[in-house]
Amino acid sequence: MSTLEIKNLHKEYVDAYTGETVTAVGDVSFSVDRGEFVSILGPSGCGKTTVLNVVAGFDKLTSGSVEVGGKPVTAPSPERGVVFQSFALFPWKTVLGNVAFGLRMRGVPRREREPVARQYLELVGLEGFERKFPHELSGGMQQRLGVARVLANEPEVMLMDEPFASVDAQTRRKLQEDLTDIFQAKRPTVFFVTHDVDEAVFLSDRVVVLSSRPSTVAEIVTVPLERPRNWRSVLENPDFRHTVTHLTDLLAGGRAHGEEQAERLSGRVDSSSEPPVRADAGGES
Amino acid sequence: MALTSPAGRRGGKLSRRLSAALWFLLPFVLLAAVWVVIVEVTEVEMRIFPQITDVAGAFGELWSSGELFTHVGASLRRVVLGVIAAILTGIPFGILLGSSRWVAAFFAPLLRFSVALAGIAWIPLATLWLGYGERAVIFIVWNAMFFALAYNTMLGVQRIPTQLLRAARSMGTPRARMFTEVLLPGALPNIVTGLRVGLGYGWRGLVAAEIIAASAGVGYSIFLAQKFFRTDVIIAFMIVIGVLWLITDRAVLAPLERRTVERWGMKAVTA
Amino acid sequence: MTVSGATQRTRPAMGGFWWRRLGRSRVVRTFGPFVPVVLAWWAVAELEFFPAAFFVGPDVVVAEFAELIKKGILPAYLSDSVTRLWTGVVFGLLIGIPAGFLVAMSRWARRLTWPLLMFFQAIADIAWLPIVIVWFGFSLTAVTFVIVYTIVFPLMISIVAGVEQVPRDMVRAARSLGAGRFRVFTDVILPGALPAVATGIRTGLGYGWRALIAAEIIVGTSGIGFMMFDARRAGEVTGVFVGMIVLGILWFALDALVLAPFERSTIERWGMIQTAEVAR
Repeated sequence: MSTLEIKNLHKEYVDAYTGETVTAVGDVSFSVDRGEFVSILGPSGCGKTTVLNVVAGFDKLTSGSVEVGGKPVTAPSPERGVVFQSFALFPWKTVLGNVAFGLRMRGVPRREREPVARQYLELVGLEGFERKFPHELSGGMQQRLGVARVLANEPEVMLMDEPFASVDAQTRRKLQEDLTDIFQAKRPTVFFVTHDVDEAVFLSDRVVVLSSRPSTVAEIVTVPLERPRNWRSVLENPDFRHTVTHLTDLLAGGRAHGEEQAERLSGRVDSSSEPPVRADAGGES
Repeated sequence: MALTSPAGRRGGKLSRRLSAALWFLLPFVLLAAVWVVIVEVTEVEMRIFPQITDVAGAFGELWSSGELFTHVGASLRRVVLGVIAAILTGIPFGILLGSSRWVAAFFAPLLRFSVALAGIAWIPLATLWLGYGERAVIFIVWNAMFFALAYNTMLGVQRIPTQLLRAARSMGTPRARMFTEVLLPGALPNIVTGLRVGLGYGWRGLVAAEIIAASAGVGYSIFLAQKFFRTDVIIAFMIVIGVLWLITDRAVLAPLERRTVERWGMKAVTA
Repeated sequence: MTVSGATQRTRPAMGGFWWRRLGRSRVVRTFGPFVPVVLAWWAVAELEFFPAAFFVGPDVVVAEFAELIKKGILPAYLSDSVTRLWTGVVFGLLIGIPAGFLVAMSRWARRLTWPLLMFFQAIADIAWLPIVIVWFGFSLTAVTFVIVYTIVFPLMISIVAGVEQVPRDMVRAARSLGAGRFRVFTDVILPGALPAVATGIRTGLGYGWRALIAAEIIVGTSGIGFMMFDARRAGEVTGVFVGMIVLGILWFALDALVLAPFERSTIERWGMIQTAEVAR
């Protein structure tokens, strides 16, 4: 049974400056099953964040339908917690205050919400930092807090909007591994937006690839990797590289370019026994 | 390194503090010295410029007669009442305006206009409406602060990052609680700025209003002394006014800022 | 990546409406809000919520305004006020800006004057009025003294803060590119501190302006402040209203013609963070 169901999502907005109508999302349909990790991948400006914003209830769709747990989305709700690229932690609340925020808003009494909050802090490895303020944490720790804050609400689906784009490369790898561990342990439903091909493949069960504007679904790719995953073993896995290559081709659009790159990559794989450590193929735009 | 005893380190800190205090006092000592010498050399009349000892004498007189406390007390009472009224009205009003982009765009020019006029320019109208006396003076303090506080609060609310508002909403914050949970703390850096600007205006408004519409207070006393050419009393009260403001700034505003905005790592728009 | 048709534009939607374009115009955005406020004011006056002795409508105010102009009182008082303000501001800037940079650049000057700056800043300018009147009588000199006083201290403090905020790396970059101490000052620190100068002028003017009105109200013999208080003594609320509106327009003109262009041509033009947005 699918938790998140998107049918023919179409989104237009009026540019405040020029007054012209711009199509942000052309026609997008896909679904996310309970306990599934689905990423949406696309060239910059293709409207993938718009899709997330519609699911979150921040933006209204122009036509189509978005349903979570069988109910149409109308407004933001703790059922669809969001992890932001900018972390969006409350600077005036302690780490504990941030994690417990959602529970407090639901009227859970202090006695009950504190143990839950602590449990989620432990899950993301932030025990001992309860009394700190967000600005006293490193970027990586801040985003762990962002994840714990959403999971503490036990949402139907956790929405993640390029959550690791503003941390350094090494921390990002660590955070990605930790996220798969958390996913393994808690099995939340996750909808993840990224422009990083490696990240999408490493984390997801399925990857939805969008074309450039007006965006449509180019292909939905199933990732043939076992869980639990970690970067060391995944990087050695030819399935991982094939999927990455395939997605890179899809994003590049141009066939010739894609074939050439595939050849080059497969050639390298054949010749060396130890695979080269790839930098983020998707890169930052 | 291991040889440095805690006591030694503490001693170092102490001497650093001592030297900081000395450096703070030195300029005042020099100023006082220059004052003494100039008055001695030029033999200026006391009704034009008093010797420093005259001022000290006037201060002692004011202290022992209790006049000082009567007037300072009267002024502080007005400031406190005016400030409380301004905080209770200005901050909610500013948050209300800031929470809608259209309302804010509409009110911004009006508020800027009002900030420019706030305080002293209202004295004639305030005394006409409320008569000469306590109510008019408190009205002026409130009025001087209200607009600066409301305008800066509005700016502060508008500057809260959209993502923060969205995060709060997506975690199920009810509309009414957005006010206290997000908008108020989020706007606090600008609210503190507004308080500081507003207090500056309010304090000046108080002095001016007391000159015109009161029969006690520091502003009244200073102007009364002018009529009798008591420059020693004037300067004694001027120093009192300066010290009162420094106390307000150091004992109220600075700790507030330290405990909130700085503690939370939010950068204030400093002036 | 090939990004084709990055922004697909379909139809020129509602944006074509004249009122939308009008809503974006600067003049309308600035003055538009005053229209309903004046109308509301008029309505309140017409409905006589308050006795006419306390509250008059815009029609009465405009009539009085025309009357005062015809009599020549308003232009004369206005020019008196503007002259006082202008003189004070010019001397304030001439003293405050060099003094501010001196204190900011010299460690010794800083150590010897910083506590005094803080203290003199704390003595509200209006408190100087009585003693200044003892010294100079109520003259242009007395008013100028007070306005200069109000402008110099915020300006100096603001400049010191501004110089401190010039990024260290920018100074280092200039030095490594071969700039000497003097060139670093003229080409890096001076422009880098300009936003602070703008902020300081705004703060100073906000206070100086109030000091002027206070001086005119308290001991004035002419000027807009005097006119208002004169009207108040006679119990003529209309004159008070006229005075406040003239003061408001004067500040608007000062803001639009002097302060804003200065800020626009420096801070905004260079894309530096504009702190001057804070209301002063």
